[in-house]
Amino acid sequence: MSADHKPASPRRSVPRPVVDSVTTIASDGSRRDLHPADVHGRFTRARRWSGWALIAFYLVLPWIPVNGHPAVFLDLAERRFHFFGYTLAAQDAWLLFFGVTGLGFALFFLTALFGRLWCGWACPQTVYLEHVYRVIERWIDGDATERRALAAAPLTAAKAAKRVAKHGLYIVASLLITHLFLSYFVSLPEVWHMMHYAPGEHWAAFVFVFAAAGVLYFNFAWFREQLCIVICPYGRLQSALTDDHSLSIGYDAQRGEPRGKLGTPDAGACVDCNRCVQVCPTGIDIRHGLQLECIGCAACIDACDEVMTRVKRPVGLIRYDSFAGLGGGVTRWIRPRTILYGVLLCVGIAVAAFAFTTVKPANFLVFRTGGASYFVGPEDVRNQFMVRLVNKRTEPATFVVTSEGLPAGLRQSGFEAPVTLAPMAESVSPLVLVASRRDYRGPFKFTVRVRDAAQTFTLAREVEFMGPDARLLEDEEHEEREKKAKEHHDPKG
Amino acid sequence: MSSSPQPPEDPGIQLRDHTYDGIQEYDQRLPNWWLYTLYGAIAFWVIYWFAYMIAGIMPTDGSRVDTAMAGINAAKMASSIDVTNDDKFWEMSANAVFTDAGKQTFTSLCTPCHLPSMRGKSENPAAVGPDLTDTAWIHGGTPKELFTTVSQGVLAKGMPAWEPVLGQKKTAEVVAYILSHHQKGETITVEIPK
Repeated sequence: MSADHKPASPRRSVPRPVVDSVTTIASDGSRRDLHPADVHGRFTRARRWSGWALIAFYLVLPWIPVNGHPAVFLDLAERRFHFFGYTLAAQDAWLLFFGVTGLGFALFFLTALFGRLWCGWACPQTVYLEHVYRVIERWIDGDATERRALAAAPLTAAKAAKRVAKHGLYIVASLLITHLFLSYFVSLPEVWHMMHYAPGEHWAAFVFVFAAAGVLYFNFAWFREQLCIVICPYGRLQSALTDDHSLSIGYDAQRGEPRGKLGTPDAGACVDCNRCVQVCPTGIDIRHGLQLECIGCAACIDACDEVMTRVKRPVGLIRYDSFAGLGGGVTRWIRPRTILYGVLLCVGIAVAAFAFTTVKPANFLVFRTGGASYFVGPEDVRNQFMVRLVNKRTEPATFVVTSEGLPAGLRQSGFEAPVTLAPMAESVSPLVLVASRRDYRGPFKFTVRVRDAAQTFTLAREVEFMGPDARLLEDEEHEEREKKAKEHHDPKG
Repeated sequence: MSSSPQPPEDPGIQLRDHTYDGIQEYDQRLPNWWLYTLYGAIAFWVIYWFAYMIAGIMPTDGSRVDTAMAGINAAKMASSIDVTNDDKFWEMSANAVFTDAGKQTFTSLCTPCHLPSMRGKSENPAAVGPDLTDTAWIHGGTPKELFTTVSQGVLAKGMPAWEPVLGQKKTAEVVAYILSHHQKGETITVEIPK
């Protein structure tokens, strides 16, 4: 069928990518390991710095206290979520909507403009793989040629030692990452505390950390680019989000073709050195054009620029450019798609900013007590409610509950005094409203308002006072009176 | 899209025989790891089906709920009191542990209708609830009747059923607190106000 069944020769161990099949999957379905070559250049350097910055950001956040809590602390036990001193409660979970849609719109917008900038520069898969795990591999096993030779070599003591060292470091790195990850949810002191006990003492946390570390180890030691190629939906989504004017990493075929070794007459700029293929972490040939596997890591740009500089040709044969730009045209940045995504993003940011800045440090609900919706007594009409107050703050708070917009003569009982709630506590208490028949004019709407004692915020809910039509009550009273009058005149009847 | 240059060498990916609407299909293997996840899922299904449906090795969700409910009910029974025993209520009403706890609940939930003094309509005719300190009762004045009233409420008149909200213990504490305003053996009358 294909050349893969031929005995492995050094030439074939570096697979030649084709457009129609995935390089890392052999024709018998087995996995083909990639050994990307080292690459140097401005994008590699910039990516290394940004990757380290992102990793440092992730590692450092749980260590920095802001207002007595770690900078980012998703406290599941207390259901309080701390972000740089800003605290949200479980009741604010609806704000997550803005997090999710914001991420979506931001990704739409950035993808339409810059293609898969996220994949190559910011995705944790790439960041940890390139800047932690591949660094370990490079350090233990050597460069691409040495790694390939080592993989093909029979198992000796030296090879086994290298494998143990490499995988040991992979496991250490995975455990570090997952312990830090757990600390985002239970805080560092708590992780440290739990680490002093037997696994059985904190079974759930232990299983979580070690299972997650196992997944990370498997992913970064073996699975690697398969996640980007087969599992991640973003690579497939991009075809719906990008167009001819979106930035991508591309090969300038007009300049490069026909490719040929140095000195070939009438050849284009491409010297067919295959460096762009050797450095690719997903095993593609960028000269085939934009492909699903491309994670936009820019390694091929640096590789090609290095070669072009050496052969004294202009750099940029492979570069960040749009299809339009690569075809000799001009990239249009402002176009219906970018305007639409930009507007959606701005609307989302505006609404989210409004929502986040108006979150109240308390929550309250008004609901009717069980039984009838209203009670009609001989003297009055009555509605009974329960008011649930939740203090979302991490300190005690005192609340004043009032009813507003009540008609004259309406009496309120309950909440005569302010209610003080412990940190993050909640209470449920009755609120009873009584309208005497004389003053009753039928159902009406009123407002229950909650203020904190310091008057820093107010919450309001509109509630309906329910009851019969006022005329029905009047008729009933009228009948009653007539009946009495009749009895008075005719005691025998 | 710009036309991509043809690969210099085609390793020979084969096409399948069929053609639908002029569309042909490559004959390529799925990644083996992907197939293993499928085989793993099939194996998991067989084990799952066998363990739950045939051998009964694993408890079903239904039986786990039953076990948990039995445990909850056992715990409830262990801490429940005999709410038909009037003497028990009188004993509780003389014990500050119960009446203090009952007072706390009463203050937060009952005062809007029965007033903090517990005297309701006797103190203020406009109050919603009746006096609980006098000896005239509407729905029975023995401790167990009192418990039934608080526990199940008088929904037609607006007295909510409190046991579902408070649980048996807190409800009994409130009854003990009310009884602490009464004497065991006092003459009670049951009358329905017009």
